[in-house]
This record gives sequence, C-alpha cells and structure tokens, in this order.
Amino acid sequence: MEKIDLSRITLRPFKLEDADDFLLFAGDDQVTRYLRWKTLTSKEEALEHIKDVCINHPWRRSICIDDRSIGFVSIFPFSGDDRCRANFGFGVAVKYWGHGIATKAVKMAVPQFFVDFPHVVRLEAFVDVDNKASQKVVEKAGFQKEGMLRKYAYHKGRLTDFVVYSFLSSDLPIVEA
Amino acid sequence: MEGTSPVQSSKNEYSNLSLRLLDVSDIDDFMVWATDEKVARFCTWEPYTNKEDGLNFIKNTVLPHPWFRAICLDNRPIGAISVTSNSGNDRCRGELGYVLASKYWGKEIVTRAVKMVANTIFEEWPHLERLEALVDVENVGSQKVLEKAGFQREGVLRKYFVQKGKSRDMVMFSLLSIDPRPQI
Repeated sequence: MEKIDLSRITLRPFKLEDADDFLLFAGDDQVTRYLRWKTLTSKEEALEHIKDVCINHPWRRSICIDDRSIGFVSIFPFSGDDRCRANFGFGVAVKYWGHGIATKAVKMAVPQFFVDFPHVVRLEAFVDVDNKASQKVVEKAGFQKEGMLRKYAYHKGRLTDFVVYSFLSSDLPIVEA
Repeated sequence: MEGTSPVQSSKNEYSNLSLRLLDVSDIDDFMVWATDEKVARFCTWEPYTNKEDGLNFIKNTVLPHPWFRAICLDNRPIGAISVTSNSGNDRCRGELGYVLASKYWGKEIVTRAVKMVANTIFEEWPHLERLEALVDVENVGSQKVLEKAGFQREGVLRKYFVQKGKSRDMVMFSLLSIDPRPQI
C-alpha cells in the first residue's frame, strides 16, 4: 500500500460541490456500518444530506486530502445540564483506511473544537464494542477509555454494548508519541 | 449492648417498607426531605423553601412521571424513587434516581427500595433491557446502595454533567434484565 503524507490532510466545512465525493463514503455500507446514518444511495441524497445536515450542523468538518472530501468529523454539543459535553463521531472512505488518516483528523479536530466551543469541557465517543478499528483511532488520538456500557442502546435494530471514551479540554495538549 | 442485636432491632423498626404513588396530600411529608440541604447536596435542585413549589413539583413532575413512587415507612412517605423512560434507539434504557429523608439514612432503606424496583420494573416494562444510575464520585453512600443492590459499576464518566454550576465526574452503574435479580 502506497504511503500517504499526512500533511495533505486538512479539515474544512462541507460544500455542495463535495456531493460526489461525499457519496463515495456515505454511500458505502462499510463506512456507515457503525454510524446512525442510513447508507446514501444517490447524488440527490448526498446533496440533501450536505444541505440539511452538514451545513447546518453545529460542528461538522470534511476530512480532505488535497482539499477533496474523503470523510468527516462530527461533534454535537448537548444542551441544558448536559451542555458541558459533546458527542464525537467520524468516518473515512474505505480506500483511505490503514494510513492513520482518521487518527490525524481526530487529533486536528479536538483542539479546534474546544476553541470554537469554550463552554464544552468533555468530548465523548460511544464506540460499538465490535468496532475495534475506531477504538484504536480514538485511543491513539488521546481519548481515555472510561468503561463499557452494557446493552446501552439499539443500533440499526440491534441491542448494542458501547465502549465510552472521553477527551476533556483539560487533557489538551495532545502529546505526540 | 444488651438485648437484641443491632441488625434485628433495625429490622423491626423499619420492616414495614413499601412503595406507592405520591400525591399532593403527601406534601407535608415531601417537604421534610425536599427542604433538607443534606438531601439536596448531590441533586440538581436547591432545597425547597415553600409549600407551593413542592405542590407544583408534585403536580407537574411527579403525577405525569412514567414511574415515580414514594418510599414509605408504615405508609408514610420518607423519600422517593423513580425510573425515567426513553424513546427510539434509547428505549431499552431507563435511569434510576432516589432520595431519602436524612433521618433514615444508614439503615439500608434505600437499598431495599432499589431491590424492590429491580424486582418489578423489568416485568412492568418488558421493553426495558437496562436500568442505569449515575452517581457523583463523591457520593459514596449512594454508590454503596447500588453495589449492595447488585448493580455493576461500569466506569467513571469524567466531567459528565453540570450540577449546580460545576461539571461533575459521575460513576455509571447498570442492572440488566438478564442479570440475576437482587434478593430482597
């Protein structure tokens, strides 16, 4: 496998022009397997999703290689008594798996988000117990494993155990190994 | 100490424990724990200062609640225990909460009430798979209640939520419908 120079990886907001690239990963069952999203099936759905979900989202970024969208990072702050925390999610096109891109993107997203949302002190990622690849990504990016929540929620019809990870604003800066 | 052992005498005095619905007519008993700052310490609410607020809580929160019971000793409310419900993908999960007048702390009353709930809620709500409780890391008494009631400690969620203006670390406990039921 050809090595990818990770300095080519950037984060930016989504644009309607990303629709074709978006469909490449959002239309792939392997990518959406552990996401709440339904796998997209057309460019129209991709445009709709970018317009209705990505652009209005409190904090969603496209993971880009040479400014072309190959994935996403999504951070959703809660409200009320839960306003100090936000839910963290991400996905990358299968073609780009195995290069450390997701880990790099997560490491870039975390400090950026805390600057944009200074009242949020906790990022949390609920990772399906079977999703070992994503567990490795968040661990390498500096998230702390807190425990496993048994039969916590349904995911696409299946009662699922989730491993819960957190990254606090006080955990910054991310120490490079 | 002469006479019966401490365990036996506490069993006689506090043996008539029951759970029932709480009503506006229970307002005076409710105010006993609701005004107590020791009780409110790890709760999201400040101690109540007037009966009208108490009545509003009973009318607006307790009466429409999916599952709320008074913990009663000799049929007089001395505390409360409740289970929230969720919808959609979260419908498998309910959150347990409880509160007890401080005069009755340290006598295993809440532990018994939690065991009673654990032995009925999964039958009353067949869709419930997981009963969970979140306890402040400093609330050791409450953590002991859940451990004695057979809940599993799953981990500490750091700075999980804001309580009285400060973000707090919370311990997550759970009891599943497939776990062994605690013996009452």
